[in-house]
Amino acid sequence: MLDSFFNIDSGYLEGLCRGFRNGILRQADYLNLVQCETLDDLKLHLQSTDYGNFLANEPSPLQVSVIDDKLREKLVTEFQHMRNHAVDPLATFMDYITYGYMIDNIVLLITGALHQRPISELMPKCHPLGTFDQIEAINVANTSVELYNAVLVDTPLAEFFGECVSEQDLDELNIEIIRNTLYKAYLESFYNYCKGLGGTTADVMCPILAFEADRRAFIITVNSFGTELSKEDRAKLYPTCGRLYPDGLAALARADDPENVKQVAEFYTEYRALFEGAGNNPGEKTLEDRFFEYEVKLNVNAFMQQFHCGVFYSYLRLKEQECRNIVWIAECIAQKHRAKIDNYIPIL
Amino acid sequence: MEASIFRSEEMRLAQIFLSSEAAYTCVSELGEIGLVQFRDLNPDVNIFQRKFVNEVRRCDDMERILCYLEAQIKKMNIDVLNNGENPEAPQPREMIDLEATFEKLEGELREVNDNAERLDRNFLELTELKHVLESAQIFLDQESDASTSLSQNLIPAEDGRNEPAQLGSVAGVIPREKLAMFERMLWRVSRGNAFLRHQDIATELKDPATGVEIRKCVYLIFFQGEQLKLKVKKICEGCRSTLYPCPDSAAERADMLRGVMSRLADLTVILSQTTDHRERVLVAAAKFLRVWLIKVRKIKAIYHTLNLFNVDVTNKCLIAEGWIPADDKDVIRDALRKGTDKCGTSMQPILNIIETKAEAPTYHRTNKFTNGFQSLIEAYGVATYRELNPGLYTCATFPFLFGVMFGDLGHGFIMFLFALWMVLREKPLAPVMAKSEITNIIFGGRYIVLLMGMFSMYTGFIYNDVFSKSMNVFGSSWHVGPNATIEIIDNHVPEYMLDPADRTDYVGYPYPVGMDPIWQVAVNKISFLNSYKMKISIIIGVVHMMFGVLLSIINHLYFKRILNIFCEFIPQVVFLLAMFGWLVVLVFTKWIFYGAGPEFDTPHGSSCAPNVLITFINMMLMQDDDVKENCESNYMFEGQKQLQTALVLIALLCIPVLLIPKPLILKSQAAKRKLRPLVGVIVVQIQGQEGEQQEGEQQEG
Repeated sequence: MLDSFFNIDSGYLEGLCRGFRNGILRQADYLNLVQCETLDDLKLHLQSTDYGNFLANEPSPLQVSVIDDKLREKLVTEFQHMRNHAVDPLATFMDYITYGYMIDNIVLLITGALHQRPISELMPKCHPLGTFDQIEAINVANTSVELYNAVLVDTPLAEFFGECVSEQDLDELNIEIIRNTLYKAYLESFYNYCKGLGGTTADVMCPILAFEADRRAFIITVNSFGTELSKEDRAKLYPTCGRLYPDGLAALARADDPENVKQVAEFYTEYRALFEGAGNNPGEKTLEDRFFEYEVKLNVNAFMQQFHCGVFYSYLRLKEQECRNIVWIAECIAQKHRAKIDNYIPIL
Repeated sequence: MEASIFRSEEMRLAQIFLSSEAAYTCVSELGEIGLVQFRDLNPDVNIFQRKFVNEVRRCDDMERILCYLEAQIKKMNIDVLNNGENPEAPQPREMIDLEATFEKLEGELREVNDNAERLDRNFLELTELKHVLESAQIFLDQESDASTSLSQNLIPAEDGRNEPAQLGSVAGVIPREKLAMFERMLWRVSRGNAFLRHQDIATELKDPATGVEIRKCVYLIFFQGEQLKLKVKKICEGCRSTLYPCPDSAAERADMLRGVMSRLADLTVILSQTTDHRERVLVAAAKFLRVWLIKVRKIKAIYHTLNLFNVDVTNKCLIAEGWIPADDKDVIRDALRKGTDKCGTSMQPILNIIETKAEAPTYHRTNKFTNGFQSLIEAYGVATYRELNPGLYTCATFPFLFGVMFGDLGHGFIMFLFALWMVLREKPLAPVMAKSEITNIIFGGRYIVLLMGMFSMYTGFIYNDVFSKSMNVFGSSWHVGPNATIEIIDNHVPEYMLDPADRTDYVGYPYPVGMDPIWQVAVNKISFLNSYKMKISIIIGVVHMMFGVLLSIINHLYFKRILNIFCEFIPQVVFLLAMFGWLVVLVFTKWIFYGAGPEFDTPHGSSCAPNVLITFINMMLMQDDDVKENCESNYMFEGQKQLQTALVLIALLCIPVLLIPKPLILKSQAAKRKLRPLVGVIVVQIQGQEGEQQEGEQQEG
């Protein structure tokens, strides 16, 4: 596909998206935010950024949860506005982005239902991008077969569900396995879709999704230590569209402790840098934060090229990181716990 | 003091000392006259660390309540009273009263709304129940007589089983768009063992939370067994449907329906009372809403301005800095005095003028006529301080150039009338026009439109165009002469050529003013008028450009930028005249010395007239075309070719003069300037070292 044809259908949306991106908070904004004494100060400062009056109708005193909700609401409105104007292939691309949230929502609801929490209480916690018609009826299902047959068969997730149909009752471990299997299938499908689109979209999206896949593989491995998950089962959960495939994944499958994981990462330049200096001690950044930082870098780079769908994915990811940052700062302010207030991840 | 439309106002940087008590009222007065541009004296302080941030926040909160009120008022379709009143900013102590009023109103309104929502919800439930009961009756009536109970087994018991299996049923209401999904899921989960009947509810129901009308439908599900009942109920909950009890027997259902109907009737009465109460509260609020909004915004603006000020160490006074027009010093002093009087302190504010080299802001004093033109200019760019203001000339040139393009007496007249109406009914129209952005733009430029209409009429008269028809006011100079024989006219020849050389066709002098109306019927109307108007446009355009360039010399002289005159102005003028000025000369020469008729000889006749455009292109390319037959040359006069070559060379020479010397000279000047402070530093250092190192220096020397 000639890149310049991209503008016929999606030029307006790309412009819009780049405009939104310019509203992302910069380092100077963060420096101002961390100086705030109260959440009302925070609100006052956010008013002078692109967020504008998004908190204007909230009476004082502010709650962190309100800020979180409003941040997310704004992001979702922006995303859905773009989705509603999109045409294929961008429309499918943007739908793919939402599937990830669907998986998270399903897992959230099933876990909640296992703990006897009513659906109506759980629904507000679901990400609005990942809702679908049948989602509230999810507690009809007791086994994964029922889940598939009753709820998911009509949703776009049905095609990812093939591997995890079993008659076993849904329990905690089972749900995690379902989540990771779904995610694996989803990532691989998304990766192939981007690859199929070709051109700049593939150039930009494939590295991002490959990193996403590798990150999941690392995290699954690290989290599986000390649980009943067998090594064979674990190996089945690794998404195979990353740079670790196939040698790294095979090595990860054999890993017994975090040290082994680090050794695997040694073989890959980008990942070695992430593992070096990561830790839980004060002054060190956690591995999770290192991954986030790397993801931010990849996503910022996505804006360096034009005429591709990747900017929409990257914008959403960057904005989510920004929401996490603001909420983190707000939490630190609200709990008067200023020592760690600088642990946000700057974007621009 | 030359405060006029020619240049922007002279500005002075003023420092104002305000006592902390009087600061609020003084800023309020200054805000009303709008003549001071305050400078931010605390640029390094965050917004939330400034002195009056709490007051700003209180204003924000009040604004929030007012916005809520406004939204509620709009929802009820109540008009907000707008009598054009412009209240002054209230005293700071009145802020508490305002806050109290707003909070009380908000509380009252929220309570009423909560009540109304509860009642609405109740009403919705009862209405749905009513529909469920009615529909259940219909569903079951179709099956059998009224005595049939819901749970009666429809399938005859199989042999060998004594007790007939009981059928369970569930009734409820679901949004219509979810029905298909609901039905499919039910079928999947029950594996086809649940039987669903549904019926649309004809009326639209109101969602109590959002007030949106939604369409719903009633359903009744029959199934067998406890297990299935559990699942069906879960699905019903999951699909946001509401379940309602539906008694088995028809008699009970009829009983329940009666109860529901009477409760509905009661509820309707209460609901209407609640709505009335709500409306009363909102109508009362709508009367003041606008005034309140203005007041709150004024307070907020005052505190924002106060946040720009420096606080004195003793905390007794605020120091403000701002640009003021030099002519308005007294007006500002008056306003300050008024502000102090209002708050009743004895300490008079002090206004000092500071001498400064800082770049002052541009301020053009405008009136309602020039205002539109000035904003038109500022859409392109704002002149720097004390630069020549193009606004004055625009008042004439802009409407005139519009007229050249829109020349039509009739259309121009309509435009003129429309603008005249706006100008004459200025006062009553202003609030109406301000409502929409588009009308506001037109209304803001009403004087521009008026002039545009007048100039269109003028050029329309010159073009002799009235709604694209011509007027024959002075009598055309062209007639169909005796040459037109009877045959030509009778044979309906489509064209008849009028010969300008023939005095029976053409009277010998042109139509006195504007275009001859004969062109209206001419076949070559378009080609003639296009060529004519193109030439006119070139002449006007070149004159316009020339005028613009000439204006720049006034700026250069005023700011004493001699370099700009020699390296910018003069080469620009020469270039423009050598190329396009020459083009204009060619046009006039052709008009004057060429023509048809007995007074022109063959070389100056119509067949030998050179094409100005081709001549100009050839001049640029420095080439010659072949001379036409019977003509003397391609040129209008002797030596034209040499002159043209010289002009092109001069114009080309101007380009390097325009581009090269100025940056070089500026660079060398900047380099000199850089040297000078360095020299200063060295001198200071030497002076400082003199005492201590005198000996050493002497030795070195």
